[in-house]
Amino acid sequence: MSAKTLHYEARRAKSLVGEIMERSGQNLLACYQCRRCAAGCPVGEETGVTPDRLIRMILMGDREEALSNLLVWQCVACYTCGTRCPNNIQTARITETLKQMSKEAHLEPLLPRIADFHSSFMKATEHKGRFNEIEGMRIYETKTTIKELKTGNFGAIIEEMKNQAKLGMKMRKKKRMHFKVDKVKNVAEVKALFRKAKQGKGV
Amino acid sequence: MTMDMAYYPGCSLHASSELYDIQCKMVFRNLGIELKEIEDWNCCGATAAAKTDDFLAIALPARNLGIADATGLSEIVIPCSSCYSRTLVSQKRLSCDPGLKDAINEELGHKVEGKIKVSNILEVLVPRATSGEIAGKAKKKLEGLKAACYYGCLLTRFPCDVDLTDDVENPQGMEIVCKALGAETVDWSYKTDCCGASGSVNDAEQSQLLMSRIFKDAVARGANCFISTCPLCQFNLDAYQDEVGRKYGIEQRLPVYFITELIGLSMGFDPIQMQVDRHLTDAMPLLKELKLI
Repeated sequence: MSAKTLHYEARRAKSLVGEIMERSGQNLLACYQCRRCAAGCPVGEETGVTPDRLIRMILMGDREEALSNLLVWQCVACYTCGTRCPNNIQTARITETLKQMSKEAHLEPLLPRIADFHSSFMKATEHKGRFNEIEGMRIYETKTTIKELKTGNFGAIIEEMKNQAKLGMKMRKKKRMHFKVDKVKNVAEVKALFRKAKQGKGV
Repeated sequence: MTMDMAYYPGCSLHASSELYDIQCKMVFRNLGIELKEIEDWNCCGATAAAKTDDFLAIALPARNLGIADATGLSEIVIPCSSCYSRTLVSQKRLSCDPGLKDAINEELGHKVEGKIKVSNILEVLVPRATSGEIAGKAKKKLEGLKAACYYGCLLTRFPCDVDLTDDVENPQGMEIVCKALGAETVDWSYKTDCCGASGSVNDAEQSQLLMSRIFKDAVARGANCFISTCPLCQFNLDAYQDEVGRKYGIEQRLPVYFITELIGLSMGFDPIQMQVDRHLTDAMPLLKELKLI
Protein backbone atom coordinates (compact mmCIF):
# COMPACT_ATOMS: atom_id res chain seq x y z
CA MET A 1 0.00 0.00 0.00
CA SER A 2 2.74 2.43 0.92
CA ALA A 3 4.57 1.64 -2.30
CA LYS A 4 1.70 2.73 -4.52
CA THR A 5 2.46 5.63 -6.85
CA LEU A 6 0.35 8.69 -6.16
CA HIS A 7 -0.86 10.84 -9.05
CA TYR A 8 -1.40 14.53 -8.55
CA GLU A 9 -4.32 16.36 -10.01
CA ALA A 10 -4.65 19.96 -8.88
CA ARG A 11 -8.42 20.40 -8.81
CA ARG A 12 -9.08 17.06 -7.16
CA ALA A 13 -6.38 17.73 -4.56
CA LYS A 14 -7.64 21.21 -3.76
CA SER A 15 -11.14 20.08 -2.95
CA LEU A 16 -10.03 17.10 -0.85
CA VAL A 17 -7.42 19.08 1.11
CA GLY A 18 -9.88 21.92 1.69
CA GLU A 19 -12.60 19.63 2.98
CA ILE A 20 -10.34 17.76 5.38
CA MET A 21 -8.63 20.91 6.65
CA GLU A 22 -11.98 22.55 7.31
CA ARG A 23 -13.48 19.57 9.13
CA SER A 24 -10.46 18.45 11.14
CA GLY A 25 -9.21 21.94 11.92
CA GLN A 26 -5.68 20.86 10.98
CA ASN A 27 -3.37 22.79 8.66
CA LEU A 28 -2.17 20.00 6.39
CA LEU A 29 -0.27 22.44 4.19
CA ALA A 30 2.20 23.02 7.03
CA CYS A 31 3.50 19.44 6.80
CA TYR A 32 7.10 19.44 5.53
CA GLN A 33 7.52 15.67 5.83
CA CYS A 34 10.02 15.65 8.70
CA ARG A 35 8.50 12.35 9.85
CA ARG A 36 8.76 12.93 13.59
CA CYS A 37 5.17 11.65 13.62
CA ALA A 38 6.23 8.46 11.87
CA ALA A 39 8.93 7.79 14.47
CA GLY A 40 6.42 7.95 17.31
CA CYS A 41 3.41 6.27 15.72
CA PRO A 42 2.70 3.04 17.63
CA VAL A 43 0.77 1.48 14.74
CA GLY A 44 2.67 2.84 11.73
CA GLU A 45 4.81 -0.25 11.29
CA GLU A 46 1.87 -2.65 11.23
CA THR A 47 -0.47 -0.51 9.14
CA GLY A 48 2.25 0.38 6.65
CA VAL A 49 0.94 3.95 6.65
CA THR A 50 2.41 6.59 8.95
CA PRO A 51 0.81 10.02 9.57
CA ASP A 52 3.16 11.74 7.10
CA ARG A 53 2.15 9.26 4.36
CA LEU A 54 -1.53 9.85 5.07
CA ILE A 55 -1.07 13.62 4.83
CA ARG A 56 0.81 13.14 1.55
CA MET A 57 -2.03 11.04 0.11
CA ILE A 58 -4.47 13.82 0.95
CA LEU A 59 -2.24 16.56 -0.46
CA MET A 60 -1.95 14.58 -3.70
CA GLY A 61 -5.72 14.37 -3.85
CA ASP A 62 -6.01 10.59 -3.64
CA ARG A 63 -9.46 10.44 -2.04
CA GLU A 64 -9.93 6.71 -2.46
CA GLU A 65 -6.65 5.80 -0.81
CA ALA A 66 -7.04 8.44 1.91
CA LEU A 67 -10.45 7.14 2.95
CA SER A 68 -9.53 3.52 2.81
CA ASN A 69 -6.19 2.63 4.36
CA LEU A 70 -5.36 0.79 7.55
CA LEU A 71 -4.16 3.87 9.46
CA VAL A 72 -7.59 5.50 9.20
CA TRP A 73 -9.11 2.55 11.02
CA GLN A 74 -6.27 1.38 13.25
CA CYS A 75 -5.16 4.81 14.49
CA VAL A 76 -5.57 4.53 18.27
CA ALA A 77 -5.91 8.32 18.68
CA CYS A 78 -3.01 8.36 21.15
CA TYR A 79 -2.13 11.90 19.95
CA THR A 80 1.62 11.15 19.96
CA CYS A 81 2.15 12.33 16.38
CA GLY A 82 0.35 15.63 16.94
CA THR A 83 2.10 16.29 20.23
CA ARG A 84 5.50 15.90 18.55
CA CYS A 85 4.67 17.65 15.27
CA PRO A 86 6.72 20.85 14.93
CA ASN A 87 3.80 22.35 12.99
CA ASN A 88 1.11 21.27 15.42
CA ILE A 89 -0.75 19.00 13.00
CA GLN A 90 -2.85 16.52 14.95
CA THR A 91 -3.21 13.58 12.56
CA ALA A 92 -5.55 11.73 14.94
CA ARG A 93 -8.08 14.49 14.20
CA ILE A 94 -7.56 13.75 10.51
CA THR A 95 -8.17 10.01 10.92
CA GLU A 96 -11.31 10.83 12.93
CA THR A 97 -12.49 13.06 10.09
CA LEU A 98 -11.70 10.43 7.47
CA LYS A 99 -13.72 7.81 9.35
CA GLN A 100 -16.69 10.16 9.34
CA MET A 101 -16.24 10.93 5.63
CA SER A 102 -15.99 7.24 4.84
CA LYS A 103 -19.28 6.63 6.61
CA GLU A 104 -20.99 9.54 4.84
CA ALA A 105 -19.78 8.16 1.51
CA HIS A 106 -21.30 4.76 2.48
CA LEU A 107 -17.98 3.01 2.02
CA GLU A 108 -17.52 -0.37 3.67
CA PRO A 109 -14.91 0.19 6.42
CA LEU A 110 -11.64 -1.64 5.86
CA LEU A 111 -11.99 -3.06 9.37
CA PRO A 112 -15.76 -3.23 10.00
CA ARG A 113 -15.44 -4.37 13.62
CA ILE A 114 -13.79 -1.11 14.62
CA ALA A 115 -16.50 1.01 12.98
CA ASP A 116 -19.20 -1.23 14.45
CA PHE A 117 -17.80 -0.89 17.95
CA HIS A 118 -17.89 2.89 17.88
CA SER A 119 -21.37 3.07 16.37
CA SER A 120 -22.62 0.52 18.95
CA PHE A 121 -21.08 2.59 21.73
CA MET A 122 -22.92 5.68 20.49
CA LYS A 123 -26.18 3.79 20.09
CA ALA A 124 -26.03 2.57 23.69
CA THR A 125 -25.19 6.08 24.87
CA GLU A 126 -28.09 7.59 22.91
CA HIS A 127 -30.46 5.00 24.34
CA LYS A 128 -29.82 5.48 28.08
CA GLY A 129 -27.64 8.59 28.19
CA ARG A 130 -24.94 6.48 29.79
CA PHE A 131 -22.88 3.66 28.34
CA ASN A 132 -23.87 0.35 29.89
CA GLU A 133 -21.16 -2.18 29.10
CA ILE A 134 -23.50 -5.15 28.69
CA GLU A 135 -25.92 -3.26 26.43
CA GLY A 136 -23.07 -1.82 24.32
CA MET A 137 -21.48 -5.22 23.90
CA ARG A 138 -24.82 -6.80 23.00
CA ILE A 139 -25.39 -4.26 20.21
CA TYR A 140 -21.82 -4.68 18.99
CA GLU A 141 -21.83 -8.49 19.02
CA THR A 142 -25.21 -8.65 17.27
CA LYS A 143 -24.01 -6.29 14.56
CA THR A 144 -20.76 -8.14 13.92
CA THR A 145 -22.35 -11.60 14.11
CA ILE A 146 -24.95 -10.70 11.48
CA LYS A 147 -22.16 -9.48 9.18
CA GLU A 148 -20.08 -12.62 9.70
CA LEU A 149 -23.17 -14.79 9.09
CA LYS A 150 -23.81 -13.03 5.79
CA THR A 151 -20.26 -13.76 4.63
CA GLY A 152 -20.37 -17.28 6.06
CA ASN A 153 -17.41 -16.58 8.34
CA PHE A 154 -18.44 -19.01 11.07
CA GLY A 155 -14.90 -19.41 12.37
CA ALA A 156 -14.78 -15.74 13.36
CA ILE A 157 -18.12 -16.03 15.18
CA ILE A 158 -16.96 -19.02 17.22
CA GLU A 159 -13.61 -17.36 17.99
CA GLU A 160 -15.37 -14.18 19.18
CA MET A 161 -17.84 -16.15 21.31
CA LYS A 162 -15.00 -18.10 22.91
CA ASN A 163 -13.04 -14.94 23.72
CA GLN A 164 -16.01 -13.07 25.12
CA ALA A 165 -17.14 -16.06 27.21
CA LYS A 166 -13.65 -16.38 28.65
CA LEU A 167 -13.48 -12.70 29.58
CA GLY A 168 -17.05 -12.73 30.87
CA MET A 169 -16.34 -15.66 33.17
CA LYS A 170 -13.20 -14.00 34.50
CA MET A 171 -15.13 -10.77 35.14
CA ARG A 172 -18.01 -12.54 36.87
CA LYS A 173 -15.65 -14.39 39.15
CA LYS A 174 -14.15 -11.08 40.32
CA LYS A 175 -17.50 -9.30 40.36
CA ARG A 176 -16.41 -6.88 37.63
CA MET A 177 -19.53 -7.60 35.54
CA HIS A 178 -22.20 -5.02 36.22
CA PHE A 179 -25.83 -5.96 35.69
CA LYS A 180 -27.58 -2.90 37.03
CA VAL A 181 -28.69 -0.53 34.28
CA ASP A 182 -27.53 3.07 34.60
CA LYS A 183 -29.78 5.67 33.02
CA VAL A 184 -29.90 9.46 32.77
CA LYS A 185 -33.22 10.71 34.18
CA ASN A 186 -33.44 13.56 31.72
CA VAL A 187 -32.49 11.35 28.80
CA ALA A 188 -34.65 13.54 26.54
CA GLU A 189 -31.99 16.22 26.81
CA VAL A 190 -29.28 13.82 25.68
CA LYS A 191 -31.48 12.62 22.82
CA ALA A 192 -32.00 16.24 21.76
CA LEU A 193 -28.23 16.59 21.33
CA PHE A 194 -28.19 13.45 19.20
CA ARG A 195 -31.04 14.87 17.11
CA LYS A 196 -29.16 18.09 16.61
CA ALA A 197 -26.10 16.15 15.51
CA LYS A 198 -28.16 14.26 12.92
CA GLN A 199 -29.58 17.52 11.56
CA GLY A 200 -26.00 18.65 11.13
CA LYS A 201 -26.74 21.94 12.86
CA GLY A 202 -23.89 21.82 15.29
CA VAL A 203 -20.55 21.84 13.56
CA MET B 1 -11.37 21.16 57.46
CA THR B 2 -13.48 19.57 54.76
CA MET B 3 -14.03 20.98 51.31
CA ASP B 4 -16.56 19.97 48.67
CA MET B 5 -15.39 19.10 45.18
CA ALA B 6 -17.60 18.28 42.20
CA TYR B 7 -17.07 14.74 40.93
CA TYR B 8 -17.72 13.06 37.58
CA PRO B 9 -17.26 9.29 37.87
CA GLY B 10 -18.16 8.41 34.27
CA CYS B 11 -19.73 5.16 33.06
CA SER B 12 -16.80 2.90 33.79
CA LEU B 13 -16.68 3.80 37.51
CA HIS B 14 -20.35 2.89 37.72
CA ALA B 15 -19.72 -0.50 36.11
CA SER B 16 -16.63 -2.68 35.69
CA SER B 17 -14.39 -0.27 37.61
CA GLU B 18 -16.77 0.40 40.48
CA LEU B 19 -13.91 -0.37 42.86
CA TYR B 20 -12.11 2.79 41.69
CA ASP B 21 -15.21 4.87 42.53
CA ILE B 22 -15.30 3.40 46.04
CA GLN B 23 -11.57 3.99 46.55
CA CYS B 24 -11.67 7.58 45.27
CA LYS B 25 -14.39 8.46 47.78
CA MET B 26 -12.55 6.78 50.69
CA VAL B 27 -9.18 8.34 49.96
CA PHE B 28 -10.49 11.82 49.18
CA ARG B 29 -12.63 11.89 52.32
CA ASN B 30 -9.56 11.09 54.41
CA LEU B 31 -7.79 13.99 52.70
CA GLY B 32 -10.64 16.29 53.71
CA ILE B 33 -12.34 16.34 50.31
CA GLU B 34 -16.01 15.40 50.01
CA LEU B 35 -16.72 14.29 46.45
CA LYS B 36 -20.08 15.59 45.25
CA GLU B 37 -21.16 13.47 42.29
CA ILE B 38 -22.86 15.82 39.83
CA GLU B 39 -26.59 15.19 39.27
CA ASP B 40 -27.85 13.16 36.34
CA TRP B 41 -24.60 13.22 34.36
CA ASN B 42 -24.35 11.53 30.96
CA CYS B 43 -21.64 9.59 29.10
CA CYS B 44 -18.86 11.86 27.78
CA GLY B 45 -18.87 10.03 24.42
CA ALA B 46 -15.33 8.76 25.04
CA THR B 47 -13.31 8.12 21.88
CA ALA B 48 -16.37 6.79 20.04
CA ALA B 49 -17.99 10.22 19.72
CA ALA B 50 -14.85 11.81 18.27
CA LYS B 51 -14.63 9.01 15.74
CA THR B 52 -18.24 9.27 14.64
CA ASP B 53 -19.55 12.80 15.18
CA ASP B 54 -17.67 16.05 15.88
CA PHE B 55 -20.74 17.78 17.32
CA LEU B 56 -21.54 15.07 19.88
CA ALA B 57 -17.88 14.85 20.89
CA ILE B 58 -18.22 18.42 22.19
CA ALA B 59 -21.93 18.44 23.11
CA LEU B 60 -22.05 15.34 25.34
CA PRO B 61 -19.38 16.56 27.80
CA ALA B 62 -20.88 20.06 27.52
CA ARG B 63 -24.12 18.89 29.17
CA ASN B 64 -22.06 17.67 32.14
CA LEU B 65 -20.12 20.93 32.23
CA GLY B 66 -23.40 22.84 32.45
CA ILE B 67 -24.53 20.69 35.38
CA ALA B 68 -21.13 21.10 37.04
CA ASP B 69 -21.18 24.89 36.58
CA ALA B 70 -24.62 25.00 38.22
CA THR B 71 -23.25 23.41 41.42
CA GLY B 72 -21.39 26.63 42.14
CA LEU B 73 -18.33 24.57 43.11
CA SER B 74 -14.99 25.77 41.79
CA GLU B 75 -13.43 22.46 40.74
CA ILE B 76 -14.53 19.14 39.25
CA VAL B 77 -12.32 16.06 39.47
CA ILE B 78 -12.59 13.40 36.77
CA PRO B 79 -10.56 10.25 37.53
CA CYS B 80 -11.02 8.51 34.13
CA SER B 81 -8.46 9.79 31.62
CA SER B 82 -10.84 9.52 28.69
CA CYS B 83 -13.68 11.37 30.45
CA TYR B 84 -11.21 13.96 31.69
CA SER B 85 -9.74 14.53 28.24
CA ARG B 86 -13.11 14.79 26.48
CA THR B 87 -14.49 17.17 29.10
CA LEU B 88 -11.45 19.43 29.11
CA VAL B 89 -11.36 19.52 25.31
CA SER B 90 -15.08 20.39 25.20
CA GLN B 91 -14.63 23.24 27.68
CA LYS B 92 -11.65 24.58 25.74
CA ARG B 93 -13.42 24.34 22.37
CA LEU B 94 -16.54 26.11 23.68
CA SER B 95 -14.44 28.91 25.16
CA CYS B 96 -13.23 29.79 21.67
CA ASP B 97 -16.39 29.00 19.71
CA PRO B 98 -19.33 31.06 21.06
CA GLY B 99 -21.56 30.02 18.14
CA LEU B 100 -21.20 26.35 18.97
CA LYS B 101 -21.66 27.10 22.66
CA ASP B 102 -24.95 28.88 21.94
CA ALA B 103 -26.12 26.04 19.70
CA ILE B 104 -25.48 23.50 22.46
CA ASN B 105 -26.86 25.69 25.25
CA GLU B 106 -30.17 25.95 23.36
CA GLU B 107 -30.78 22.31 24.26
CA LEU B 108 -29.57 22.40 27.86
CA GLY B 109 -31.41 23.07 31.12
CA HIS B 110 -28.13 23.94 32.80
CA LYS B 111 -26.20 26.16 30.40
CA VAL B 112 -22.43 25.83 30.02
CA GLU B 113 -20.71 28.84 31.49
CA GLY B 114 -17.22 27.40 31.33
CA LYS B 115 -16.18 28.57 34.76
CA ILE B 116 -15.52 25.32 36.65
CA LYS B 117 -11.93 24.08 36.77
CA VAL B 118 -11.64 20.61 35.22
CA SER B 119 -9.01 18.51 37.02
CA ASN B 120 -7.66 15.02 36.61
CA ILE B 121 -6.99 12.98 39.72
CA LEU B 122 -3.26 13.76 39.79
CA GLU B 123 -3.91 17.49 39.71
CA VAL B 124 -5.71 17.02 43.02
CA LEU B 125 -3.33 14.49 44.55
CA VAL B 126 0.10 15.83 43.57
CA PRO B 127 -0.13 19.16 45.45
CA ARG B 128 -1.26 17.18 48.50
CA ALA B 129 1.77 14.92 48.13
CA THR B 130 4.25 17.78 47.80
CA SER B 131 2.68 19.61 50.74
CA GLY B 132 3.28 16.58 52.96
CA GLU B 133 -0.45 16.01 53.51
CA ILE B 134 -0.50 12.50 52.01
CA ALA B 135 2.61 11.43 53.95
CA GLY B 136 1.01 12.95 57.06
CA LYS B 137 -2.01 10.64 56.70
CA ALA B 138 0.15 7.55 56.16
CA LYS B 139 0.05 4.80 58.75
CA LYS B 140 2.66 2.71 56.92
CA LYS B 141 5.30 3.01 54.25
CA LEU B 142 4.77 0.94 51.11
CA GLU B 143 8.26 -0.54 51.16
CA GLY B 144 9.13 -3.14 48.56
CA LEU B 145 6.81 -1.89 45.83
CA LYS B 146 8.63 -1.10 42.60
CA ALA B 147 6.03 0.56 40.50
CA ALA B 148 5.94 1.20 36.78
CA CYS B 149 3.74 4.31 36.71
CA TYR B 150 1.58 4.02 33.60
CA TYR B 151 -0.02 7.22 32.28
CA GLY B 152 -1.25 6.06 28.89
CA CYS B 153 -2.33 8.59 26.27
CA LEU B 154 -5.13 10.82 27.38
CA LEU B 155 -3.78 12.13 30.64
CA THR B 156 -0.95 14.02 28.98
CA ARG B 157 -1.71 14.38 25.26
CA PHE B 158 -4.65 16.28 23.80
CA PRO B 159 -6.06 16.93 20.34
CA CYS B 160 -5.80 20.68 20.96
CA ASP B 161 -3.69 23.03 23.08
CA VAL B 162 -4.62 22.90 26.76
CA ASP B 163 -2.74 24.01 29.86
CA LEU B 164 -0.77 21.11 31.27
CA THR B 165 0.51 20.58 34.78
CA ASP B 166 2.89 17.72 33.99
CA ASP B 167 5.56 16.92 31.45
CA VAL B 168 4.20 15.54 28.17
CA GLU B 169 6.90 12.97 27.41
CA ASN B 170 8.00 12.09 30.93
CA PRO B 171 5.23 12.92 33.41
CA GLN B 172 6.10 12.67 37.10
CA GLY B 173 2.80 13.06 39.00
CA MET B 174 2.42 9.42 39.98
CA GLU B 175 6.10 9.17 40.91
CA ILE B 176 5.69 12.13 43.27
CA VAL B 177 2.71 10.46 44.95
CA CYS B 178 4.61 7.14 45.20
CA LYS B 179 7.53 8.87 46.87
CA ALA B 180 5.18 10.29 49.49
CA LEU B 181 3.94 6.73 50.14
CA GLY B 182 7.43 5.30 50.48
CA ALA B 183 7.08 3.18 47.33
CA GLU B 184 9.86 2.92 44.76
CA THR B 185 9.27 3.67 41.08
CA VAL B 186 11.20 2.54 38.02
CA ASP B 187 12.34 4.65 35.09
CA TRP B 188 10.92 3.12 31.95
CA SER B 189 10.16 3.93 28.34
CA TYR B 190 6.51 2.99 27.88
CA LYS B 191 4.78 5.09 30.55
CA THR B 192 2.89 7.19 27.99
CA ASP B 193 2.47 4.55 25.28
CA CYS B 194 -0.97 3.37 24.20
CA CYS B 195 -2.51 0.14 25.55
CA GLY B 196 -4.78 -0.12 22.51
CA ALA B 197 -7.85 1.25 24.29
CA SER B 198 -11.06 -0.23 22.84
CA GLY B 199 -8.92 -2.14 20.36
CA SER B 200 -8.86 -4.91 22.95
CA VAL B 201 -12.49 -5.52 21.93
CA ASN B 202 -12.50 -4.73 18.23
CA ASP B 203 -8.86 -5.09 17.09
CA ALA B 204 -7.37 -7.61 19.54
CA GLU B 205 -4.27 -8.44 17.53
CA GLN B 206 -3.05 -4.86 17.49
CA SER B 207 -3.93 -3.94 21.05
CA GLN B 208 -2.21 -7.09 22.33
CA LEU B 209 0.94 -6.11 20.46
CA LEU B 210 0.85 -2.66 22.06
CA MET B 211 0.27 -4.15 25.51
CA SER B 212 3.11 -6.66 25.05
CA ARG B 213 5.58 -3.79 24.61
CA ILE B 214 4.35 -2.22 27.85
CA PHE B 215 4.58 -5.49 29.80
CA LYS B 216 8.01 -6.36 28.42
CA ASP B 217 9.58 -3.02 29.29
CA ALA B 218 8.09 -2.90 32.81
CA VAL B 219 9.44 -6.39 33.53
CA ALA B 220 12.85 -5.58 32.02
CA ARG B 221 13.12 -2.52 34.30
CA GLY B 222 12.50 -4.64 37.38
CA ALA B 223 9.02 -3.36 38.24
CA ASN B 224 6.85 -5.59 40.41
CA CYS B 225 3.58 -3.75 39.74
CA PHE B 226 1.89 -1.13 37.56
CA ILE B 227 0.08 1.93 38.81
CA SER B 228 -2.67 3.54 36.79
CA THR B 229 -5.15 6.37 37.24
CA CYS B 230 -7.35 5.41 34.27
CA PRO B 231 -10.05 2.72 34.55
CA LEU B 232 -9.77 1.89 30.85
CA CYS B 233 -5.98 1.46 30.86
CA GLN B 234 -6.24 -0.42 34.16
CA PHE B 235 -8.83 -2.78 32.73
CA ASN B 236 -6.79 -3.54 29.62
CA LEU B 237 -3.55 -4.26 31.48
CA ASP B 238 -5.46 -6.18 34.16
CA ALA B 239 -7.79 -8.28 31.99
CA TYR B 240 -5.53 -9.19 29.09
CA GLN B 241 -2.14 -9.54 30.79
CA ASP B 242 -2.27 -13.31 31.06
CA GLU B 243 -3.32 -13.82 27.45
CA VAL B 244 -0.74 -11.35 26.13
CA GLY B 245 1.95 -12.81 28.39
CA ARG B 246 1.36 -16.31 27.04
CA LYS B 247 1.27 -15.12 23.45
CA TYR B 248 4.46 -13.06 23.70
CA GLY B 249 6.46 -15.29 26.07
CA ILE B 250 6.38 -13.01 29.10
CA GLU B 251 6.45 -15.07 32.30
CA GLN B 252 5.90 -12.45 34.98
CA ARG B 253 2.44 -11.15 35.87
CA LEU B 254 2.33 -7.74 37.52
CA PRO B 255 -0.69 -6.50 39.49
CA VAL B 256 -2.14 -3.25 38.13
CA TYR B 257 -3.04 -1.01 41.05
CA PHE B 258 -5.14 2.10 40.95
CA ILE B 259 -3.26 4.94 42.58
CA THR B 260 -6.08 5.17 45.14
CA GLU B 261 -5.41 1.59 46.29
CA LEU B 262 -1.85 2.42 47.24
CA ILE B 263 -2.76 5.68 48.97
CA GLY B 264 -5.59 3.85 50.78
CA LEU B 265 -3.25 1.07 51.89
CA SER B 266 -0.80 3.58 53.30
CA MET B 267 -3.69 5.23 55.14
CA GLY B 268 -4.41 1.88 56.74
CA PHE B 269 -7.66 1.08 54.89
CA ASP B 270 -8.74 -2.53 54.66
CA PRO B 271 -7.86 -3.93 51.19
CA ILE B 272 -11.11 -5.92 51.04
CA GLN B 273 -13.13 -2.84 51.86
CA MET B 274 -11.28 -1.12 48.99
CA GLN B 275 -12.02 -4.21 46.85
CA VAL B 276 -8.42 -4.87 45.89
CA ASP B 277 -9.50 -8.51 45.54
CA ARG B 278 -11.52 -7.68 42.42
CA HIS B 279 -8.52 -7.41 40.08
CA LEU B 280 -8.37 -9.78 37.13
CA THR B 281 -4.60 -10.17 37.53
CA ASP B 282 -4.36 -11.05 41.20
CA ALA B 283 -3.37 -7.99 43.21
CA MET B 284 -3.38 -9.42 46.73
CA PRO B 285 -0.40 -11.87 46.72
CA LEU B 286 2.26 -9.17 46.19
CA LEU B 287 0.88 -7.12 49.08
CA LYS B 288 0.97 -10.20 51.32
CA GLU B 289 4.46 -11.14 50.16
CA LEU B 290 5.72 -7.64 51.00
CA LYS B 291 3.84 -7.78 54.32
CA LEU B 292 1.86 -4.67 53.43
CA ILE B 293 -1.39 -6.35 54.47
